[in-house]
Amino acid sequence: MSEATKDATAPAATAGAPPAAGTPFTGRLRRPAPYLWLAGSVLLLLFPFYLDRFWLQAGLFAMAAAIGAIGLNLLTGSTGQLSMGHAFFLAVGAYGYCVLAGESSTENGHALTGLGLPSWLAAVLAVLLAGAAGGLFSPIAGRLSGAYLGIATLALIFIGQHVLFNAGSLTGGFNGRPVPPLSLFGFTFDDAEVVVAAVPFQSSEKLWYLGLAALLAGGLFARGVLRGRPGRALNAIRDHRIAAGVMGVPVARYRAGVFVLSSMYAGLAGVLLALVFQRTVPEYFGMILSLEYLAMIVIGGLGSVAGAVIGAAFVSLLPQVLTHYSDSLPLVSAPGTGGIAPGEASRYLYGAAVVAVVLFLPGGIARLKTPGEKKK
Amino acid sequence: MTTSPAPLTVRDVTVRFAGLTALDTVSFTVEPGSVHAVIGPNGAGKSTTFNVLSGVYRATSGSVHLGATELTGLAPHRIAGLGVARTFQNLALPPHATVAESLMLGRHRLTRAGFVAAGLRLPSATREARRHLERVREIAGFIGLDKELDFPAGALPYGKQKLVELGRALCMEPEVLLLDEPIAGMTADERRRTAAVVAGVRDSLGISIVMVEHDMGVVMRLADAVTVLDFGRRIAGGTPAEVQNDPAVVQAYLGAQE
Ligand SMILES: Nc1ncnc2c1ncn2[C@@H]1O[C@H](COP(=O)(O)OP(=O)(O)OP(=O)(O)O)[C@@H](O)[C@H]1O
Ligand SMILES: [Mg+2]
Repeated sequence: MSEATKDATAPAATAGAPPAAGTPFTGRLRRPAPYLWLAGSVLLLLFPFYLDRFWLQAGLFAMAAAIGAIGLNLLTGSTGQLSMGHAFFLAVGAYGYCVLAGESSTENGHALTGLGLPSWLAAVLAVLLAGAAGGLFSPIAGRLSGAYLGIATLALIFIGQHVLFNAGSLTGGFNGRPVPPLSLFGFTFDDAEVVVAAVPFQSSEKLWYLGLAALLAGGLFARGVLRGRPGRALNAIRDHRIAAGVMGVPVARYRAGVFVLSSMYAGLAGVLLALVFQRTVPEYFGMILSLEYLAMIVIGGLGSVAGAVIGAAFVSLLPQVLTHYSDSLPLVSAPGTGGIAPGEASRYLYGAAVVAVVLFLPGGIARLKTPGEKKK
Repeated sequence: MTTSPAPLTVRDVTVRFAGLTALDTVSFTVEPGSVHAVIGPNGAGKSTTFNVLSGVYRATSGSVHLGATELTGLAPHRIAGLGVARTFQNLALPPHATVAESLMLGRHRLTRAGFVAAGLRLPSATREARRHLERVREIAGFIGLDKELDFPAGALPYGKQKLVELGRALCMEPEVLLLDEPIAGMTADERRRTAAVVAGVRDSLGISIVMVEHDMGVVMRLADAVTVLDFGRRIAGGTPAEVQNDPAVVQAYLGAQE
C-alpha cells in the first residue's frame, strides 16, 4: 500500500517536466508511468514467494481467463461479432492437451485414449487444434454478423457438451480426465517440490511464471494486431461494415480470420486452465462460462487488451475473494449453510456490474484510468 | 502514378427494390480523367447508382465495366481493389478513431501486413506502416487536415468529417473517385477548399471523378459532363451548358421544387 501512495504522488511532480511529451489532445497516449509498470511487474514476479496456494490458483485462473478474454475481445469488442461459443474452444484446448499429452490408460473402468506426445508439443498442438476448430466454423463466422453469429455459436455449446459427456474414451465422460503436467526444456510444472529462496515451489508457483509469460505474449500480440492493419480493418467492420468493404476490406475473410484467432486464444486459455485445475471436467465448459467471458469484456472494456485483462481479473477473482472472506461478509456463507454461496453471490455481483457498466461506464473499467480522454 | 485510366461504362442498369424501380435502364460513360456529375431531384437514384458502381447493391440487370473489366457482381472489396473509391452521402467514419487512423484505412488495399506480421510487429509490417503513414500525412496536407490528424474524426465539425471521408478515398490512390454530395453541409470556406481539391485531383492525378452534387454552381464549374436522373431514369446528358438548357431538366427541377 505504502508503495502505491508513494508512486501516486511522484508522477504529479515529474509529469510537467519533459515538454517533449507534448501530445496535448491525445489522452489515449497517456499511459501510467514506466516505473508503475516496473513496480507492478516486480510485484507480480514476487507473488509466488509470498502468496499461498489458494491465491496463486486464483491468480492463475485470472491469467487464463485474461488470455481467453483477450481473444473474445478481438472478436466481439473489436469486430462486433458476438460469440456464445467461446467455452467450446476453451474445451477444445483443455481436452485437446489431455488427449495429445496423456498416455492411454484405464481410470475407474473407463479406457482413456492418449497419444503420449511430449507435453510442450501437445500444448502447441492443442492451441492449433482450437484454431482448426474455429476454422471449421469460420465459413459460418464469415457470413453472419453480430447477434446472428451469437445465436449460431450457441450450437457449439450444445455440441460441445454432448461430446464431452459422451465421448468417454477421449474425454473421460462425466468424471473428466486427469491433466498430465507440462514439461518444457526438461523442466516439469508439477507438484514435485523445488525450493527457491527457502520457498517450496509446487505446480502453482511454477505455473505462475508460465501463466505470466503466456499472458504477456498473448497481450502483446493482440495489441500489435489491433494497432496494425488488421485491427483497423476489424474496427472498420464493426463501425461500418459497408464502408469497410468499399475501402477494400474483405469483410468475410477478416471475420473468419478473427474467429480463428479468437479460438486460438481460447485454446491457449483452455490449456492453461487444465494445467492449473489438473483435471478437466465437462460441466465447466458450458454456457455459463461463455457468458462469464462476455461479462469480462463488457465490464473491463470492449475492444481493448487492457479491458479484457481487467475484466477477467474482476470476474474470476470476485468469487475467490468472496469464498475466502465468506465468514466476515454479511449474507454470504459457505455453500450449504443457509446464506448465499460465494459463487452465486459473485454472479449476482458481476451481473450488477455488467448493468452498471453498460449504463454508467460505456467503455468499461479500462476507460476509468484515462479520465483525460473523456469526451462529452 | 502511371494511370492511363479506363472509361467507366454503365450500360442499361436497372435496380428494383420490392416493387420500386430505383434505376431504370440507366446508361452513361465516364470518360477517363474527366469530372462527371450526376444530378437530379431527391430520390432520383443517384446514390443507388453509386451503390451499384461500388458493389454495395447488385443491379437487377445491366452491366458496369471499368475498361474491359466487368464490375457488376463483384464484391465491394474487389471493386475497391481495382481502384474505385467512394465517399458516402451520410458519413461513414468510425466514431472514435483518429483522423490518421481513418485515413490509414484507405491504405488497406495498398498494404499487406496480416495478423501474424502485425501481431509479431515484424519489421516488414512496421516499415510498411511508417511508409504509408508518411503518404497519409501528405494527403492530409493536400486537403488541409494536417492539423487534425490526431483528433478523433467523430469530434470534428461536419464539414471536416466530410473532408476526412474525401481524404480516406484519396488515400486509396484511386483510378475512379465517386463523391456523393461532397460539399453538402459544409461552410462556404470548406466548400471552396473541397472544390479546389477536386479540381486539383483531376488536374494533377488525372483520375476520373463521378460526383453527385446539388450545388449547380459547383457542377457548372467543375464538371466536364453531366448525367441527369429523375425517378430512376436518365432524362438528359451532355456538357453542363447543354444540360442546363434542356427542357426536360428544367421541367424535372421545377416539378420537384413545386
Ligand atoms: N436499400 C433500399 N431499399 C429500398 N429502397 C431503396 C433502397 N435504397 C434506395 N431506395 C429507394 O430508391 C430511390 C432512390 O434513392 P437514392 O438514395 O438513390 O436517391 P438519391 O438520388 O441519392 O436522392 P438524394 O438526393 O435524396 O440523396 C428512393 O426512392 C429510395 O427510397
Ligand atoms: Mg443520395
